[in-house]
Amino acid sequence: MLCPLCGNKDENFFFNGHKGIYCRKCIKFKRVLLQEDLEPLEYEINENVNDYHFDYSLTKYQKEISDKCSLFIKKSDVLLHCVCGAGKTEIVVKSISEALEKRQKVCYAIARKEVVIELYERFKRIFFDAKVIALYGGHHNELIGDLIICTTHQLFRYYKTFDLLILDEVDAFPLNNNYELMNIALNSCKGRIIFSTATLNDFIDNILKERKVQELKLTIRPSLKPLIVPKTFYGPILFLHIYLLIILKRMKNQCIIFVSSKSEAKTLHMIFKRFLSCAYVYAELQERNKNIRDFKEKKYQFIFATSVLERGITIKDVNVIIMNIHKDVFKKENLIQMLGRVGRNFSNPYGEAYILSAYQNQDIKLAIEEIKNANELSLSLLSKEN
Amino acid sequence: MLTNYHCLYCQKKIDRYTLYSLYIEEDSLCLDCREKLNLKVRKFQIDDCKAEYLYDYNSLFKSILLQYKECYDEALYICFLYKIDIYLYLKYWNYQILYVPSTKTKIKERGFNHLKLIFEQLGLKEVNGLKMKEEIIQKGKSVADRQKMINNYYYEGSFIKRLLIVDDVYTSGSSLKGVLKAMKGHYKKVKIVLLSRA
Repeated sequence: MLCPLCGNKDENFFFNGHKGIYCRKCIKFKRVLLQEDLEPLEYEINENVNDYHFDYSLTKYQKEISDKCSLFIKKSDVLLHCVCGAGKTEIVVKSISEALEKRQKVCYAIARKEVVIELYERFKRIFFDAKVIALYGGHHNELIGDLIICTTHQLFRYYKTFDLLILDEVDAFPLNNNYELMNIALNSCKGRIIFSTATLNDFIDNILKERKVQELKLTIRPSLKPLIVPKTFYGPILFLHIYLLIILKRMKNQCIIFVSSKSEAKTLHMIFKRFLSCAYVYAELQERNKNIRDFKEKKYQFIFATSVLERGITIKDVNVIIMNIHKDVFKKENLIQMLGRVGRNFSNPYGEAYILSAYQNQDIKLAIEEIKNANELSLSLLSKEN
Repeated sequence: MLTNYHCLYCQKKIDRYTLYSLYIEEDSLCLDCREKLNLKVRKFQIDDCKAEYLYDYNSLFKSILLQYKECYDEALYICFLYKIDIYLYLKYWNYQILYVPSTKTKIKERGFNHLKLIFEQLGLKEVNGLKMKEEIIQKGKSVADRQKMINNYYYEGSFIKRLLIVDDVYTSGSSLKGVLKAMKGHYKKVKIVLLSRA
């Protein structure tokens, strides 16, 4: 038995109901009967919607990768392995435009709803003639458009539909280690896929091994400045909290303080709000969007956040502090993504990053090593040019 | 086909058991989900009728019911009367059961009557003959729209001595009030059992 939608083969997760045998692994998306033939969503792409423009020009490194990407995607899938803030979205625009020119169906999928909303606004400006639609939980009345921006969870609505699918932040929750969702995502595409990420892991490596994938690497940000290497401090928790207060007191820019749990975010906010202008955010918080918006509008200087702000969010001139109090919460990929929030302003690509940790951790070392390696690579590339 | 090694809802492996689940009846949910569901019989009145409901209307119950009713995951039917089926049978063994009717389109789409699937395990005789005048889907409707349900039922059947009406969730109460209105004069004694109360 094989579920046509999620690829589940485990017989324990099939149930023989009144209408026939259905898969229970992907039941939260929709009931898929084994005897049912899933149909692709048929729709037409409008003509001449492929023109695009950027408010800024791409660097020659971005252009080079973008050209390669649009060339390689004709023959095989592509992995865009770029550092945080390298401008992955801009890099894929040319490939999208070429697909739209051929009136092919294109989708850009990413894990988080907030990022979908942000990307929707961006793509509306980039592809000014195209009908861009956004799909996410609670907003899925319109399924058809020239360019679809959606959360990965919404891909179940498009079985074997897309000619080009861009899977952004492919190593992030909820795609990471979730074979069902990954299969749903892969099954939504009948053509080619661009996998895009800053960090790779074993799960993604295994998925990519099964497909013929061409890897493209970019280690230089558009500002041509190196990634920010964090300062690390080890010590007992109380010492870390006092040190955190000292750092924050003298900090002039905004700062995201990443913590490992929502209770930690709440507690630290409760203590620090007496001294500083701060908010907190975690995935299930009702005022989550409001708090993020307020932080972006600079109503608060500091925000205590769980990994909810780890990816896809761009805030200008922001610093990052990672509180590594609990073991095995932040992995190398998480740390790199969090540190990648710093220095994303093109005109001011600097910032401060700290890791305050209660214990020695291999992941911290590996993350810093990877950032340093990327910086070395970009430095050697730049020196060659000069 | 479905084994009991995985929780029917969260799909995690069941590795903790209660004595009840070990010796009397295996549970289809894991201990965490079961505890969160919080089974507890609570009584209240609807007009002059005695009613009781079984679960808190919490986020877990809502998700399970949503998955059962709207994602058509009929495997979940087994988890609602776990541990309470014996109590209900002993209390209502001589009653005839009436399921609050669903719209025909919804039943056709689901492929099953969600209330019947849950409560038929009690083995009570079913009451037929209660029908809807107009197919109104209540989901997402306002209280005013739901009030239309009060006059939306009619009954064409025999007299029932002891009647047990069952429904999933008591929200505005309009469907139950409508059923009670349609059944008025056709029974001697009536009781109501609900899964939850919003």
